[in-house]
Amino acid sequence: MASVSFEHVRKDFGTATVVRDFDLEVADGELVVLVGGSGCGKSTILRMLAGLESVTSGIVRIGEREVTHLPPRERDVAMVFQDYALYPHLTARGNISLGLRLRKVPKAEIDRRVRWAAEILELQPLLDRKPKQMSGGQRQRIAMGRAMVREPAVFLFDEPLSNLDAHLRGQMRHEIARMQQRVGTTALYVTHDQMEAMTLGDRLVVLDGGRIRQVGRPIDVYEAPANKFVAGFIGTPPMNFLEGRLERERDDLAFVSDVLRIPLAAERCPGPSAESGEAVTLGVRPEDLTLADAPAPATLHGQLILAEVLGATTHLHVEVGGRRLIAAVPSGPAPAPGAAVNLSSDPHRLHLFAADGSSLLQDSHDA
Amino acid sequence: MRRAVFYVVLALAAVAFLYPFLWMAATTFKSPAEVGGLSLLPDQLTLDNYRLMWARAPFGRALFNSLFVATTITLSVLVFGSAAAYALARLSFPGRRVLNTVTVAVLLVPAQLTLIPMYTLIVQLGWVDSYAALIAPFAFNATAILILRQFFLQVPRSLMDAARLDGMGELRILFTVFWPLAKAPLAMVGILTFMGAWNEVLWPLLVVRDEQLMTLPQLLTVFSLGGGAGPRALATKLAAAMVLVVPVVVAYTFLQRFFIESLASTGIKG
Repeated sequence: MASVSFEHVRKDFGTATVVRDFDLEVADGELVVLVGGSGCGKSTILRMLAGLESVTSGIVRIGEREVTHLPPRERDVAMVFQDYALYPHLTARGNISLGLRLRKVPKAEIDRRVRWAAEILELQPLLDRKPKQMSGGQRQRIAMGRAMVREPAVFLFDEPLSNLDAHLRGQMRHEIARMQQRVGTTALYVTHDQMEAMTLGDRLVVLDGGRIRQVGRPIDVYEAPANKFVAGFIGTPPMNFLEGRLERERDDLAFVSDVLRIPLAAERCPGPSAESGEAVTLGVRPEDLTLADAPAPATLHGQLILAEVLGATTHLHVEVGGRRLIAAVPSGPAPAPGAAVNLSSDPHRLHLFAADGSSLLQDSHDA
Repeated sequence: MRRAVFYVVLALAAVAFLYPFLWMAATTFKSPAEVGGLSLLPDQLTLDNYRLMWARAPFGRALFNSLFVATTITLSVLVFGSAAAYALARLSFPGRRVLNTVTVAVLLVPAQLTLIPMYTLIVQLGWVDSYAALIAPFAFNATAILILRQFFLQVPRSLMDAARLDGMGELRILFTVFWPLAKAPLAMVGILTFMGAWNEVLWPLLVVRDEQLMTLPQLLTVFSLGGGAGPRALATKLAAAMVLVVPVVVAYTFLQRFFIESLASTGIKG
């Protein structure tokens, strides 16, 4: 096991820069999730750490050792791939043990490790099967077994669950978390799936355009997004945004837009530099909007477009002043589409963003 | 009814293709009196034609030469062709695109055009009347490189990444990961190369004059041209032709599964 550090790492492909000034410290035994949209550079970062992609500039360390220019086999990392990357002509046992055989590990030790991984991942019945005789979930467990037996300093997961169906994804997510806790190896996990990001990681790294937009514990990133990008990216359905301005009323500040005027709770007020009249964006998570019985000064009035019943929760798509907002409310009797509805929000759960997208709340920190 | 007509047409076509070959095979077992007939069943079965053929020219040695030359050429084309294909398909290096284009361009040059320059080269190297002269010009093959490159392009990148993380170098990746995946295209390239090398006549006629180094088709050609006339001579020549054909037919019979697979294969599954 070992810590991992990236120092000012940059990666160019031709004239395109896909990773810029990437700085990150991953503690020994920590599981860090890199999350972001397509093309944000998350897989490239993982591949640079594995040695599968060269680093244009900057330094990569595993433990105390600089590995920036070392070939993959000298880095002591193991990787689980999105498409499993199992050798089709080898059995599960052959796939799991190949890396050890190439490293000339004694046969008895190989057998011990294969048995150990098979026990943890419940692979015993699969060991003599070839990949084509297995389901996607089984193949992914073999791929994890292959990584585990290497007993590497760092595990790398590159969207390992993306090819699985929703049910299997949930099951495998649980297995990965259990496996990582049990072996305690430092791990970097790349995903675009928020559920995986929120549930698996000790810390989240939110990336956009090759830059870190926020690093923090999943719940902190969710509760206090550092900027509008993170606020919109983390959370399903995404946060609702309303453009408006700040207005001072005696000693208090209020958010004012064409559809809403709402006083800001003291702890949600921006710092002292905020000025009356400053253009801001109000952010409110769908789960922080509730249906109100009657219009009130700080409620949003709109028309229900669509109600998506998901089980315990219903997503109400409401058109307010020409923009569509989503409210996630407990399922129950809901207004019919086309009906006028009122949405109220908890002033203590509002988010404010400056014109440049940065959070105006004092407990949010940009990366 | 339509199916019956279809099978009749197929049967007629099969007879048209098979009969000459079966007649040739049957004639090699006939006595001189029967050689002119169209029957496929000899009245008197004899091996005299084979005995005579074996006695009049070193066909045993020629068989060994052909096997050695064709096998060496095939192995060489598979090893060097796949290595070149791997590099062109999966490695990044300056000039890769130019090399790809040059490989395709080589296919556009007719083989006859290079005969004289190649012959001159062989003479200058002092390789006339040697195995090197028979093998070297065919040890590398642009068609093989292109076929294998096309297949290697389909191998997922993650498989190479996994192999590198497992500790493999490029050669090991080629021979222990790519080769097992490429059985079908390798078999196709192998069969085509072996058959091409086995049947080659013109080049051996140019560079080999020593009877002990002659390949089977070469010796057969020389034998046919100077082996006399009449039914006995014809049957003896046909016996020599059978010795030439049988190994290829046997090899194809065993390898045809791979051959058909490679023609039908579209990529890596499962």
